[in-house]
Amino acid sequence: MATIELVNVEKKFGASFAVKPMNMTIYNGEFVVLLGPSGCGKTTTLRMISGLEAVTDGQILFDGKEVTWLHPSDRDIAFVFQFFALYSHMTARENIAFPLQAQGESKENIRKRVEEVAKMLRIEHLLSARPGGLSGGDQQRVALARALVRRPAAFLMDEPLGALDAEFRESMRAEIKRLHIEQNATTVYVTHDQIEAMAMGDRVVVMSAAVVQQNGTPAEVYHDPANLFVAKFIGSPGMNLIRGHYADGKVALPGDSYYAVPTDWQAAIHEVIGRAGDVILGFRPEAAHISENGPIATTVYTSDLHGSYTMLHLELNRDTIVDVRAGRGTSYPIGTPARFDLDPAMVRFFDPKTEAAIHKGGNQ
Amino acid sequence: MSTRTAAPTSPVTISTRVDKVGRRPKVMRGIRAFAVIVITIIALLPVVWMIMTSLKSPSDVVAVPPKIIFKPSIESFIFLVTERVQFASPQEAAEYKARDDLKWYEEKVAQRGQKITRVGDFPKQLRNSFIIAGTSTIFSVLFGVLSAYAFSRFKIPGEGDLLFFILSTRMLPPVAVTIPIFLMYRELGLDNTYFGLILLYTTFNLSFSVWLLKGFIDEIPKEYEEAALVDGYTRLQAFRKVVLPQAVTGIAATTVFCFIFAWNEYAFAAMLTSDATRTAPPSIPSIQGVGRIEWETIAAASLVFLIPVVIVTFALRKHLLRGVTFGAIRKG
Amino acid sequence: MSSYNQPARRRHIGDKRLIQMFVIPTVLLLILMNVFPLIYSLYLSFTEYSAINPTAPKWVGLDNYRQVLSDNLYWHNFAVTGRYALISVSLQMIVGFSLAMLLKEKFKGSGILTTLILIPMMLSPAVVGAFWKNIFNPSFGIFDQMLGYSDPNTAPEWLGNPNLALWAVVIVDVWMWSPFVMLLSLAGLSAIPDYLYEAAAIDRASAWFQFRRITLPQVMPLLLIAVLFRTIEAFKQFDLVMGLTGGGPALLEGRQAVNVTETVSVRLFRLAMPPQAQTGLSSAMAYVVLVIIIAISNLYIRSLNKIREG
Repeated sequence: MATIELVNVEKKFGASFAVKPMNMTIYNGEFVVLLGPSGCGKTTTLRMISGLEAVTDGQILFDGKEVTWLHPSDRDIAFVFQFFALYSHMTARENIAFPLQAQGESKENIRKRVEEVAKMLRIEHLLSARPGGLSGGDQQRVALARALVRRPAAFLMDEPLGALDAEFRESMRAEIKRLHIEQNATTVYVTHDQIEAMAMGDRVVVMSAAVVQQNGTPAEVYHDPANLFVAKFIGSPGMNLIRGHYADGKVALPGDSYYAVPTDWQAAIHEVIGRAGDVILGFRPEAAHISENGPIATTVYTSDLHGSYTMLHLELNRDTIVDVRAGRGTSYPIGTPARFDLDPAMVRFFDPKTEAAIHKGGNQ
Repeated sequence: MSTRTAAPTSPVTISTRVDKVGRRPKVMRGIRAFAVIVITIIALLPVVWMIMTSLKSPSDVVAVPPKIIFKPSIESFIFLVTERVQFASPQEAAEYKARDDLKWYEEKVAQRGQKITRVGDFPKQLRNSFIIAGTSTIFSVLFGVLSAYAFSRFKIPGEGDLLFFILSTRMLPPVAVTIPIFLMYRELGLDNTYFGLILLYTTFNLSFSVWLLKGFIDEIPKEYEEAALVDGYTRLQAFRKVVLPQAVTGIAATTVFCFIFAWNEYAFAAMLTSDATRTAPPSIPSIQGVGRIEWETIAAASLVFLIPVVIVTFALRKHLLRGVTFGAIRKG
Repeated sequence: MSSYNQPARRRHIGDKRLIQMFVIPTVLLLILMNVFPLIYSLYLSFTEYSAINPTAPKWVGLDNYRQVLSDNLYWHNFAVTGRYALISVSLQMIVGFSLAMLLKEKFKGSGILTTLILIPMMLSPAVVGAFWKNIFNPSFGIFDQMLGYSDPNTAPEWLGNPNLALWAVVIVDVWMWSPFVMLLSLAGLSAIPDYLYEAAAIDRASAWFQFRRITLPQVMPLLLIAVLFRTIEAFKQFDLVMGLTGGGPALLEGRQAVNVTETVSVRLFRLAMPPQAQTGLSSAMAYVVLVIIIAISNLYIRSLNKIREG
C-alpha cells in the first residue's frame, strides 16, 4: 500500500496546460476520485501518476520515494483501462496470469493466485473463455482480476465503467467499492460521472480547465462547493445560482423578491463584497420548500415527475429559472404562481467577481 | 531490473510515456529515421537512374563504368518524338549538314549521322493512352457510382453473391479473358479500335470502381437522403443533390485510380492493339533505335509516361490504402 | 389536405426501377465482357482450333487438358510461377513489414518518406521492366556496379544467366511491391490500440513479448490479406516479365530447353498469340490457371474468416 504525493506536477501540450501545477496527497488506503468534464486534465493526471505520461515539471512520490522518472512497471501499480486492454488472443486465465508470468513467478504460485482472484471476482467459470466471447462487465472483471493479481501498492483506474451498459455499471460500481474495502488498497479513480464519484470516493477531487477546483469528501463538494463551477457540476441538477443585489441584510432577486440573508451569513458577506453589492445566492433543489408565505415569488414554468418527488422549474423572471424539489402529492399547473422559502442552513453565497464561495467562518 | 529514465534536459511538452523520453529513445528514433531515409533513397534509385539515363548522350549511356556525372543532353527527347534514318553515305551527310534551313533539333540529330524523316510514333501512342484511359475511366466511374449507390442503399436479392461475382471478375488473369475477347472482337470488327479497348478497360475497372465507391457511399449517412425524401424530393433527385456532392472525394479518388490502372495496362493492349491504336505501355519496352538499342530514348519515354503517375501518387496518398485493397481497408 | 407544396413534381421512379437502372449496366457489361468470353473459351478449350486458321473448331474432348497436365514443359511453367510466387511474396512480406515497423512511430518527415517509398507500386510494370533492363546490364548498368563488380566481364549477367534471371524478376517485383505490404502493415499497426502497449508496459512485458503477443497477432489479418493479394498477382505476373526478360533465357534441362522466367501467363500469351496461335490449347491452359487462382483465393478468404472469428 502506498501514499501518493504530487508536488507541483504539471503537464503541457505544446504551450497550453493540460494540468496546471498541482499538489495533492493520496493517503494510504484511500479511494480518491478525480472528477471533471472531458478535457479537464483528470486522465492526464492519472497517467502521470502511472508513468504512461511524462510530467512536464514537478515530482511524484510514492511513500516519500521519488518515482517521477521511473518506468511504469517499476512503480508497483496496476492500471485498469476504460477499454479493458485485454489481449484478445489469450484466454481470461492467461490474461490474468500475464503480469505474474512477466515477473517470473512459479507456475504453481501463478495458478493459485489466479484461482484466488477469480474466486474473489466470481469469474472462475469464465477462465477458459477469450475476451471476445465475454460481456463488457465480465471483460472488466477479468481486467480487474489482472490488476488485483499482482497485489500492487496502488490501483489506478481510468473510467473503468465508461464502456459498460448502464445496468452493468451499477453492479460493477458496487463490486469495485467492495473490493476496495476488502483490499484496502490505495485507489485513484477517474470519471466524468459525478454520481459515480459521489458514490465511490472517500475523497473527490473536482477538476476543470486543467486546475483542481476542489478537493474534499463527497459531502463537502456537495454541500460546500468551493466555487460556481463545482456548485453547478455536482448534483443533478446542479445548485441553483441566482445573482442578486445585496444591501441591508437582504438580497434583491430578479422578479422583485427579496430574500433575507440569515444573520450568521451577513458578516462574511460584508467581509467579501462590502455593505452592498452583487452576490450570488446558491441553494440545492431540496433546500427549497413551497410555501404560501415564502419570500420568493415565481410562476410554474414546467414540472417533471420523478418517481418519488416532483421537480419544479420555477420562473423568477424571463431569464431566471430555478429547480425546486416538491412532494409528489400536489399538482402544479403551468403558469400558476408559486412561492418558496429556503432552509437557512442550506443556503450558500458566492462572490460573482471571483466566482469563489463565501465562507461563513471567515474568508481567506 | 529497475529502469529509471534520466530526467530530460528540456521539459516534455508532448504526450509520451516516461520511458520514451531521455536519451536512448531519442537515439533510437534518430536511427530509425536514418534507416528510413537510406531505404527511401535505395527505393528511388532506379527511378533516379532512369531520369539520369534519359538525360545522357548516346555515348554516355553505354559508358563503362556507368557515368554518374555527365553533361546533360536532351537528345533522347528529340529521338523520342522523331523517326530517323542513317545517312546512306558520307556525301549525303555532308550535303545535309551544309544546308542552312536546318532546325536546331535537325542539326543535333545530324551530328549523330542521322536524318529526321517524320514525327515518331510515341506522341501518337501517348495520345492513344490518354484517350483510351480517359474515356474508359469516365464510363467505369459513371456505371460504378450508380451500382455502388444501389448496393449501398438498397437490399438487393443476392447482393453478397453479386458483389462477390463483381470482385471475382477482377481476379481473372487478363490473359485468360483475352483469347475469347480477341476472337469476339475480330468477329465484330472491334479489334484494334478505340471503342474495343475502351469497352474492355471500362469493364476491367468497373469491379474496382463499384467496390471502392460502395465504401465511400457507405460512409455518407443515410439520414441526409432520408431528410431529402421527407422534404419531397424523389430518390433520383436525392441521389443527385445529396449523395453525389457528398461523395465527391471518393469519386475523385476512384477516377484517378481507374485512370492509372488503364494508363498502366499492358496485357490487353499488347494483345488487342497494333499500330493505329497502340498505347504507350506495350510500345516503350520495344522502342527500336536506329542501328542500336537507344536506352536514352527508352528512359525518356518511361520518364514522360511515369510523370503523371508520380504526381497522382502524391495527390492520392491519403487514399492509396483504400485503392489498393478495393476499399476493403479504410484507415487504421 | 389536397395540395402539398412539393419542391418539384417529377415523374416518380420506384426504388425497384431505380435499382434496375443503376445495377443493370454494370452487370450486363460484366456478363458481356467477362462471363460470355469465359464460356466461349471453355468451349474452345475442348476443341482443336487456331485463331489464324480458317478451319472451324474441332471437338477433341479433354485432349487439350490432358496435354497441358502431362507435358513437362507446362509443368515447368507452373513450377516457375510457384517458385517465383513463393520467393517473391515471402521477401515482400519481410521487407514490407520491416519497413512498416520502422515507420510505425512517426517522426519529422516520415509522411513524405512513406509516400516516396510507395511510388514504385504505382508504376506500370511493363515500363518498369524496360528501364530495369538497363539497370541490370552488366557493363553500363548501375546494379552490378553498386554490388561492387567493376569489371563487365566478370559481373553477373542478371537477365542473361539462367541461374539468375528469375532472381532478377524477383528483385524488381520486391522493389515494386514491398511498399504495398508496407502500406497494409502500417494500417494494421496503427489500428492497434495504444492501451494494449500501455497495459504491457505496466505488466513489465519485454519488447519481444510485446511484438509476439500484441503486434503480430493484431496485424496478422492484414498480413494475410497482403499475402492473398500478392500471391494472386504473382500467378497473374506477366507485364513485368515481358518487359524484363520476355520469358527467357533458355536453359537446357535434360534434353529440353526451358525458359527460366516463363511464368504461366507468359506461356499462355505465347501460346495464344501468333505465330503459335494454339487457341484451343491455350484456352485449356487458361482454365487450369483460373482454377488455381480461384482455389488460392478461396483458401485465403477462408483462413481470413477463421482469424476474424477467433
